[in-house]
Amino acid sequence: MSGSAKARLLGAVALSGALVLTACGSSGGAVERSDGQVTLRVTWWGEETRAGLTQEAIAAFEKEYPDITVKGEFKDWDGYWDALATTTAANDSPDVVQMDELYLASYAERGSLLDLGEAGEFLDTSQFDEESLKTGEVDGTQYAMPIGVGVLANIVNVDLFEKYGVELPDDATWTWDDYADLADELAEKSEGKLNGSSITGGMDTGSVRYWARLHDDELFDKNGDVTLDPQTLASMWQYNLDLMGSGGVESAAQAVESYNAGLEAGSLATGKVAMGFSYNTQITALREASGADLRLLRLPGSGGADAAYFKPSMYWAVSSQSDHPAEAALLTDFLVNHKAAGDILGTERGIPANGEVRKAVTADLTENDKIAVEYMESVTPGPSPVVTPKGGSGVEPMLQRYTQEVYAEQTPPEKAAQAFVDELQSEIDSAK
Amino acid sequence: MSATAELRSLRSGRRPAAKQQNKAAFFFLLPWFLGLFVITLGPMIASLYLSFTDYNLLQPPEFAGLDNYSRILDDARLHQSLQVTFVYVLVSVPLQLALALALAVLLDRGIRGLAVYRSVFYLPSLLGSSVAIAVLWRTVFGTEGLFNEVLGLVGIGGRGWISEPETALSTLIVLNVWTFGAPMVIFLAGLRQIPASYEEAAAVDGAGRWRRFWSVTMPLLTPIIFFNLVLQIIHAFQAFTQAFVVSGGKGGPADSTLFYSLYLYQRGFGNFDMGYASALAWLLLLLVGTFTAINFWAAKYWVFYDD
Repeated sequence: MSGSAKARLLGAVALSGALVLTACGSSGGAVERSDGQVTLRVTWWGEETRAGLTQEAIAAFEKEYPDITVKGEFKDWDGYWDALATTTAANDSPDVVQMDELYLASYAERGSLLDLGEAGEFLDTSQFDEESLKTGEVDGTQYAMPIGVGVLANIVNVDLFEKYGVELPDDATWTWDDYADLADELAEKSEGKLNGSSITGGMDTGSVRYWARLHDDELFDKNGDVTLDPQTLASMWQYNLDLMGSGGVESAAQAVESYNAGLEAGSLATGKVAMGFSYNTQITALREASGADLRLLRLPGSGGADAAYFKPSMYWAVSSQSDHPAEAALLTDFLVNHKAAGDILGTERGIPANGEVRKAVTADLTENDKIAVEYMESVTPGPSPVVTPKGGSGVEPMLQRYTQEVYAEQTPPEKAAQAFVDELQSEIDSAK
Repeated sequence: MSATAELRSLRSGRRPAAKQQNKAAFFFLLPWFLGLFVITLGPMIASLYLSFTDYNLLQPPEFAGLDNYSRILDDARLHQSLQVTFVYVLVSVPLQLALALALAVLLDRGIRGLAVYRSVFYLPSLLGSSVAIAVLWRTVFGTEGLFNEVLGLVGIGGRGWISEPETALSTLIVLNVWTFGAPMVIFLAGLRQIPASYEEAAAVDGAGRWRRFWSVTMPLLTPIIFFNLVLQIIHAFQAFTQAFVVSGGKGGPADSTLFYSLYLYQRGFGNFDMGYASALAWLLLLLVGTFTAINFWAAKYWVFYDD
């Protein structure tokens, strides 16, 4: 106990603590259960709802393993990553950490996460399908367990379609041209009261990854280098620029405001647009915030193609600094595999990636959750893209910056696309 | 530690009673010393060391010589952040001080309910760098915000003031000017220090109001103006919260509100680039130090001390 208290004090000294302690790391050796009472720390980002459910699941775990006490800590997204980096630097990382695709490689390749294979005895992976497990791998090593998955979807506001007498499209066959026509039609028939769609790309990497896959391209290749053709990215921006001109999609300023306002106060939720892209799992929040009849359609151009993919919404991982990796693995196992935990956690972190848990949970879902699950089943996913490479964790703000330059017409799409690819690659290179 | 040793030797020649007193003083100062050494000086020295290393937070730092400092020269985003910060400092500080001085002079006329006005004007200074106000700003200067509605009343078409790169920084400058209350209170105190007899004497000599202000009040107030100027410039260089909240930590749209400290934070935590971020922190210290030194040098030529 005094060791960890000391580490925490040094953590308060911020970086100076790191110099002294980072060298220690985990002791290596076999992963086995400790004797006597063990205390674990687990941390995640999220809101109150998630915290309540997670604490409940933790209580269920403690009941099953009376010799393990678990302390939960949670923060908002930004604060979470600042805190995780500094506690890890001070060799005081929580034992079990919630991980995101953006940061997984950055932490794993720098030795901050435990190879879960070492704790295989305590952590069952058999209920996950291969493709989904792979999303938690870095260089062929399983560093994280996917918790939930999401799929990019086109969200349509049926109320607005009906109000302005616009027919719903057939999402099995529609193309990007159809999408543009529809967006323009909505803007026209509403006499400028709304824009047809929110922008369809550039504020998140998911939209770029999808657009790239439609063009037989990817954002990152297997080696974790940028493989995206700048022309592909430029064409995505150009598509939106054209629609901005006609009012089919919202203006650059509105897009920025909508993004900053957050999902539940954004332009889809407030009915300023009738269509937009989002993850299927966000339908619950969007329907509740808007009170409108929102539905999920497959993205344009996805008929037959396997451009769509299951994005792991988040993971559980075990810190390599944990003094109790076996118990940490047990907790992870409980959270992703056990029916008791599945019942409590539901779909709050996405549709469960664990097939068995998903089946059990689907039985008593709310209507909104059912929409998300049905949508997921209607999509044929292609192979999972590789996770964001080490050094690429800042890709999203970087993309947004160039997107804003393009949409504000400060930089032409081709020039911005080349600059984006170059800058991203140089960030990755300098982390190698 | 050498400082305390020095103090100990200084102390040794004193009488026992004084020694006792000193002990008590040091005891009560202990929290401050602890804060200075543990929370301020320790990390500062660590960051000086880290600025010469390649340090990603998760692995031990590796010595990198002057690499981080040479990166400063061709980092386009750093140059953008410097430009944003300089514009912010050079525009918002003079405006803020001018407004503060003007209102202080008005309030000094001895109007009824002075305490109320003083409090009301001071309020934004307390709130100005808070998260709530930054959120409010986002709403007021949005496309459908209050500001555009007011413009609409007088027939002027609005825009997304805070969401367009051309105008986003100006809204943050307005936010900083709005927090004029703190320098205003200091100006008020300064005005009260000026003996009424000076002005009376000038009035007897036939000086008008304007003349009395320029030739009597202003010169006597220059030390206060100087004090406020130094303080507010340092404060503005370190601006962070407003841009962080308004742009969701990104400095957007399109880097138009990328304050220096925000960029430093992004490098350090967003890109695991703490070595470079440490170098940037020292560059900021150098910049602020230089500005302050220039201020003190220039003060010789315009600040008047009445003693």
